[in-house]
Amino acid sequence: MLLCLACAIAYVWHEPPIRPYGGTWLGYTLGTIGGLLILWLLWFGIRKRRYARHSASLRGWLSAHVYLGVAVVVIATLHTGFELGWNIHGLAYVLMVLTVASGLVGVYFYATVPALMTRNRGQDTLDAMLLKIADLDRNIAHKALSLPDELLALVNDSVHKTRLGGSFGRILSGRDPDCPTARAIRVIPEAGKSLQDEIANVDHEVYAMLLRKQELLTRARRDMRFKALMEIWLFFHVPLSLALLAALLAHVVSVFVYW
Amino acid sequence: MRILLLSQSRNRANGRLVTTRKEVDSDWVRVGRNASSEIHLADPRIALDHALIVDRDGPTYLEMEAGALAGAQRANYKSERLTPGKTIEIGPYRLVVDTAPEGFDCALRVEMALASDSGAPEFLQRARQLSLRSIGLRKRTVAMGLMVIIAIGAFFLPAAKVFDWPWVEGAKLLSLTDRLWNPGPVMLAHQPVGMKCEACHDVAFQQVRDASCLECHANIGQHIGPDLKPAALFDGQRCASCHRDHKGTKATHKDDDRLCVDCHRDIKTHAKQEVASQNVSDFAKDHPRFRLSLPRAQGVQRVREGASPLEEFANLNFPHATHLDPKGIKHPTKDKRVVLDCDACHRPDVSKRTFEPISMAKHCSECHNLAFEPAVTTRQVPHGSAADAVAAVREFYSDLALTGTRDSFQAAFAMPGEGLLRRPGQPSAEAREAALRVARAKSDKVTRELFERRVCKECHVVRRADTEKGPEWEIAKVRINHTWMPGARFNHASHATEKCSSCHDVEKSKTSRDVAMPKIDRCQECHGGSHPEMNKVTSNCLLCHGFHVDQHPWDPAFKPKTGKRFAASAGGP
Repeated sequence: MLLCLACAIAYVWHEPPIRPYGGTWLGYTLGTIGGLLILWLLWFGIRKRRYARHSASLRGWLSAHVYLGVAVVVIATLHTGFELGWNIHGLAYVLMVLTVASGLVGVYFYATVPALMTRNRGQDTLDAMLLKIADLDRNIAHKALSLPDELLALVNDSVHKTRLGGSFGRILSGRDPDCPTARAIRVIPEAGKSLQDEIANVDHEVYAMLLRKQELLTRARRDMRFKALMEIWLFFHVPLSLALLAALLAHVVSVFVYW
Repeated sequence: MRILLLSQSRNRANGRLVTTRKEVDSDWVRVGRNASSEIHLADPRIALDHALIVDRDGPTYLEMEAGALAGAQRANYKSERLTPGKTIEIGPYRLVVDTAPEGFDCALRVEMALASDSGAPEFLQRARQLSLRSIGLRKRTVAMGLMVIIAIGAFFLPAAKVFDWPWVEGAKLLSLTDRLWNPGPVMLAHQPVGMKCEACHDVAFQQVRDASCLECHANIGQHIGPDLKPAALFDGQRCASCHRDHKGTKATHKDDDRLCVDCHRDIKTHAKQEVASQNVSDFAKDHPRFRLSLPRAQGVQRVREGASPLEEFANLNFPHATHLDPKGIKHPTKDKRVVLDCDACHRPDVSKRTFEPISMAKHCSECHNLAFEPAVTTRQVPHGSAADAVAAVREFYSDLALTGTRDSFQAAFAMPGEGLLRRPGQPSAEAREAALRVARAKSDKVTRELFERRVCKECHVVRRADTEKGPEWEIAKVRINHTWMPGARFNHASHATEKCSSCHDVEKSKTSRDVAMPKIDRCQECHGGSHPEMNKVTSNCLLCHGFHVDQHPWDPAFKPKTGKRFAASAGGP
């Protein structure tokens, strides 16, 4: 905060020779601060893997990483003098902003998702849910054998074709719009009306188990989605940050090639 | 309540089933994943506190809330009396009630109904891709890829031209040239240079050198004359110290007083020598009085206005008051008096910044004709040369003495007779001499009148020299000032909303010695300093002054060393 404030004050106070830009003495100063900050922020990727050496707690590093990351946006914006163009300099700026933005998305997910995840899991782990679903599948398959063909087919679809994950969309949305279990649950109450006696009881039991499976599936999918959310921003943050490193170096070198 | 527990587990080493026996004497028996449970079922499908066996008219199995929720088999609560032969399924386990031996209320056998990895592996097989990584997303690959693409596209290809790398042509083909590095548009005048970066940035990793600028701007004016040693004063400064390009199409420098005031605030110290300039920091608060350039006999002089009014010596008698008389002025041919205004004589030139030079032929001759013989008003002496005028008068009267009719002869010479050649017979030597004498006497008289009393004298300063051959007249060279303030850029067109008299107070001026240039306080009525002020035009240094001004337009003798200049900046009236 202080850093941002100091830079902003300097920016307002500074009277550039023609208009504010990166090549005034203040521009070079802000650029140097910003560039060094970016290198330090990138170092976090290495620092977090070094468990043995403790120059400061990783927690402290992460906190600094977040705050200084936001500060970089302010400093770099002042460094540009609010002038952007379709060139390498603009590219570096845009990559920087996108990197920080993806990081902030990560901050948001890390702040909100774990609580939701815990609530969703209850006492189970994802593995436990999967095992339970597998158990249910076995029981359902066994029980459903005595159901009429039409219903058996539905139940078999649920047992053999229900998917969990497997594609980017399903993992990230935590849904499967074409889930055979959901379809079975939708159809069975209506289709099972005509059943009688023992078969009707079996149908009820199967239906109850399907509901149970559906509930577990929903939780498992949600859990999968939460895990994916905790990761997905990194798939942008990390590549963008390295792209930024390349663009930053190109920016700095090109500026001094044509000084 | 005494309960006998028999639990089966599989030996990890050899895979055999091992039965352990445990006796519990308690009011309740806990069933669950919790290690403190009496019936400990270590399987993820079992809840921590799954169920409780209590004595309720005999041992009874009660599934608790967590167990009910986690229970794989049923969603509803379970409460079952444990009678021999009964089987209760708890996740993958089976609780079988045996006949209680002597001394026990109940005997329970815990059996593994299913191994955790047996059963229906099909679902587990299918549900393997649960994370982003498992579906083939790779951060590191993407990151490295992007980095390489940007490094090549934004640096190694564009840099090929600068460093003569062999893939120059390829880079051009992909249009990934140093155009990518252009931080902003260059000013309009530089746009013909276009994208040839090396035209100015000729050495890599070096700041743009003055030599690059001077290649085109070879004749740019210095700030000060060579006698003030500009090289020493501006040591360490580059063209680019003030002129930064790529900052938009309009200009390469800022209209900023700081550029000037940094030195001119204390110019005496900065110049390190005696200079005529005075310190200045702001037009409104701290600007010296104007310094006018006045043509004098010894050349053009720059004279600063002081307490007493300046005087001009133009060698011309011109009372503005007479000419601008609101009642009008007498015209030689018209009956009515003619009212003149300023633009009768001061006509804007094509630039509209200033005025066409005043000339006798254009501006004066309509009224001020140079007729010398009242009887013949069509004949005038030529303007411009005193000798020509003398000759013209002499020729006129000589001609009249030779060929004049009786009437004109008598009118001109006020004596009876006619032109010599009109008289019959050969003129005698006596008559010739008499005619010559008459003509010469008359022309000498008229010439003297012309120069010393009537026509020339009216406007000009005339000097007479008596030589052996007779009197000779000289018209003093007229020094009409055209450039009063050569260091200022003044544009009359920009001030067209004002009357001439708002600045030039000439209506009462009776002599041409009066200097009618406005004083600084007159300018300051409308022009403020560099800081905005109510009802004033914000005026910084560059509004009126230029930097590259070393061309001395007020000094006609000045010739720039480098020949032709195209960066004329100063000028104006």
